[in-house]
Amino acid sequence: MSADKGIQKVTLTSNEGTSIEVDRVVAERSMLIKNLIDDLGDDAVESSPIPIPNVNDPVLRKVIEWCEHHRNDAAQSADDENDSRKKTTDIDEWDQKFMQVDQEMLFEIILAANYLDIKALLDVGCKTVANMIKGKSPEEIRKTFNITNDFTPEEEEQIRRENEWAEDR
Amino acid sequence: MPPAAPMGMPPQPVKDDIETTWNYLQQGVTRIMMSLQEGIDLQTYMGIYTAVHNFCTSQKAVGFAFQSQAIGQSHRGAHLLGEDLYKKLTEYLSEHLRGLVAESRAHADEALLAFYIREWQRYTNAAKYVHHLFRYLNRHWVKREIDEGKKNVYDVYTLHLVQWRDVLFHHISTKVMEAVLKLVEKQRNGETIEHNQIKQVVDSFVSLGLDDGDSSKTTLDVYRFHFEKPFLEATKVFYQNESKQFVAENSVVEYMKKAETRLNEEEERVKLYLHPDIAIPLKKACNQVLIADHSNILRDEFQVLLDNDREEDMARMYSLLSRIPDGLDPLRTKFETHVRNAGLAAVAKVASGAGDKLEPKVYVDALLEIHTQYQGLVKRAFNDEPEFTRSLDNACREFVNRNEVCKSGSNKSPELLAKYTDVLLRKGSTAIEDAELENTLVQLMTVFKYIEDKDVFQKFYSRMLARRLVHSNSASEDAETSMISKLKEACGFEYTNKLQRMFQDMQVSKDLNAGFREHMQGLGTKGLDSTYSILGTGFWPLQAPGTNFNPPEEVASDCERFARFYKNKHEGRKLTWLWQLCKGEVKANYIKNAKMPYTFQVSVYQMAILLLFNEKDQNTYDEISSTTQLNAEALDPSLGILLKAKVLNLDPGSAKVGSGASFSLNYDFKNKKYRVNLNVGMKSETKQEEAETNKTIEEDRKLLLQSAIVRIMKARKRMKHQQLVSETINQIRARFVPKVSDIKKCIEILLDKEYLERLEDDDIGYLA
Repeated sequence: MSADKGIQKVTLTSNEGTSIEVDRVVAERSMLIKNLIDDLGDDAVESSPIPIPNVNDPVLRKVIEWCEHHRNDAAQSADDENDSRKKTTDIDEWDQKFMQVDQEMLFEIILAANYLDIKALLDVGCKTVANMIKGKSPEEIRKTFNITNDFTPEEEEQIRRENEWAEDR
Repeated sequence: MPPAAPMGMPPQPVKDDIETTWNYLQQGVTRIMMSLQEGIDLQTYMGIYTAVHNFCTSQKAVGFAFQSQAIGQSHRGAHLLGEDLYKKLTEYLSEHLRGLVAESRAHADEALLAFYIREWQRYTNAAKYVHHLFRYLNRHWVKREIDEGKKNVYDVYTLHLVQWRDVLFHHISTKVMEAVLKLVEKQRNGETIEHNQIKQVVDSFVSLGLDDGDSSKTTLDVYRFHFEKPFLEATKVFYQNESKQFVAENSVVEYMKKAETRLNEEEERVKLYLHPDIAIPLKKACNQVLIADHSNILRDEFQVLLDNDREEDMARMYSLLSRIPDGLDPLRTKFETHVRNAGLAAVAKVASGAGDKLEPKVYVDALLEIHTQYQGLVKRAFNDEPEFTRSLDNACREFVNRNEVCKSGSNKSPELLAKYTDVLLRKGSTAIEDAELENTLVQLMTVFKYIEDKDVFQKFYSRMLARRLVHSNSASEDAETSMISKLKEACGFEYTNKLQRMFQDMQVSKDLNAGFREHMQGLGTKGLDSTYSILGTGFWPLQAPGTNFNPPEEVASDCERFARFYKNKHEGRKLTWLWQLCKGEVKANYIKNAKMPYTFQVSVYQMAILLLFNEKDQNTYDEISSTTQLNAEALDPSLGILLKAKVLNLDPGSAKVGSGASFSLNYDFKNKKYRVNLNVGMKSETKQEEAETNKTIEEDRKLLLQSAIVRIMKARKRMKHQQLVSETINQIRARFVPKVSDIKKCIEILLDKEYLERLEDDDIGYLA
């Protein structure tokens, strides 16, 4: 679809000021960038790099890596939630490997995907986190994510009661 | 406002402070709103997007959200930020639009239109940008609000439209619409206008039709109320005035042209710059004021157009009146009456010229001419519409069955039609080509379709067919077959059954004669060169001769032989000789001056008379009468022709043909032709036949009625008298139109014969 478009390459600038040249189709996995090019036109992005002020160089490269791999996926549909994708926590093999990074990087990727509006990547990130939580006790979860318990025993009891229906029996 | 220039944006604001964030955003939005044409640079674009993102994800705001959650929204999993931004944006848009409203006051009419369109375009273009820049807000805060069923929260683009509608549109839509209508009126008055402007206004009005229930859908409500309604009003008023004036100053025909043009123009207008949704109501409105309001004068004109054969104008009137409900009914009524009158007049014209001796062809042609003329009119002017065709049929049925000629008896039409077919199908009458003959037969069937007394036609037709077959002077077998299949198609198998049997009999007779001839040869007997036709009694409309007859010896012996041959083949069948239909040829060898002998074509009666003169040259009337056994009705006319042709001479001293007269052979007979046909039907004979046919029709009808009644009763067992009568009419109508009194009489007869019984309550019962 992009073959007949005017330009094929765009340059992105991370918040440190480093520039990365990528194929336009790859960059357009981000709805933000896609809308920007649509709005401002080819000329605007041909001559100057697109600043990405909220993402640093390593994360941006990581995100681009993902986009490169998924360059031929079906375009993200407007706001339509794909139910099947939403329900399962299955992640394809490549994405699983891709997400094998330290926790900080994982969260950075999620934030960047959210900011850049790359829904599929955001989903993969969230699923990864969900899989980290799945089957763990609250205490284990706290440990995993390094969270201090700030509930009083009474509060904890109340929450347990309210969510009784969800208990695995 | 600072001039928009790349890098003109201040640095990113503190991300969790609404005031500084908004200040930052407002500058960007303003630039987009006011000077988008100068372009937005990448930094600004990304800056605004990032500011919105950062604000919505700021930690402080999250903390704030948790507070509100504690107040009562415990069902929310996580709080999303953005309400403040959304409100600020809303306020900003209101402010901007209020400014536009104020500005709009300076403009009127076309300038206002231009202003509206310019600002609308600028605004909606900006809205697309802002929608994208605030996408983070859309994706999270707005989406959550809508998912939770909040009313009055829209995605950012829709918010723009809602604001436009609520702040600006309600203030100036009326004025904009006035300008639109003025422009349209200008165009209707023949000026050229920028109709693209109107199209843009329409599009804008349509865009504002937001479904309150679901902001992703649109409705046409706003457009219908603010555009369509006033537009239709104005259209009505315009055409009311125009048409009133035009009608007053011009003829109806001129008006129709005008109305047609106007209607076409309005249809074009829809295509050119209006929303397709208006097509139907606009058409309706125009139809009302341009046609329905003037339908009376149009209809009054119709008679004039009919009288003057103004086909094109009638077509125009048809197309106009067909646009309004029930518009054509009065035309159909008038048309029907007109055609009927035309038909009656045509018949009266031919009838008055001919008196009693009306040629069947002239009569049928007169009927056909009217039918053809008005069928053509229906086709060309009335679009071949079925309802008009029905009116035509009604009118034709009227004038075919009840006209000047039929006054003497309703059987006249079928009789004349049948006679005309006879003229066409008889040999040597008028030589017409096969193709043309077929064509004429098809036309005949058109008239036949309208004949109510189809049984009368059948009677005459079968009688004449019988004559054609017996005398073998049918013009073409193909034409005969074609005619019968046409009748069968129109009236069913039963109607033509007997006719087909007659053909069969002729075929069977042919084979039989061949067999007889072989048989004779086998015997070595030399008989006459004779041909016999065996006609089934029930199928042929023929009667035994009304006189005794003693055939001459030569004929009698041959007949005898044939009868024996036949009885041998078909035991138990009774043969009745129909002498009155027999004919033959005799050779006259006695005439002195003839270079070669004359041949006389004669009836068997005449043959019997002439053969007597083989014995002696003079015979008296009484001698002839006693030898032939013929009664006066048969003998006198036969003699009459022989005398007239001067084959015989009435002896001096005999006053006239009758007892006491004597006849002698004329040896000086002279004729231009050597073959002389003396077997010519006599006028009185055919007259008598006609009367007879008519009499049998009455009889047959009674039988037909009775059998129909019995059939109905057999199926129903019990029925009200009244019902039975109407049911009988229904069944019999295809053949003729029965009189109620006749039906009642037939029911009485059947009651007497005890096929039926009278039960209580006016019921009739069936007795098996």
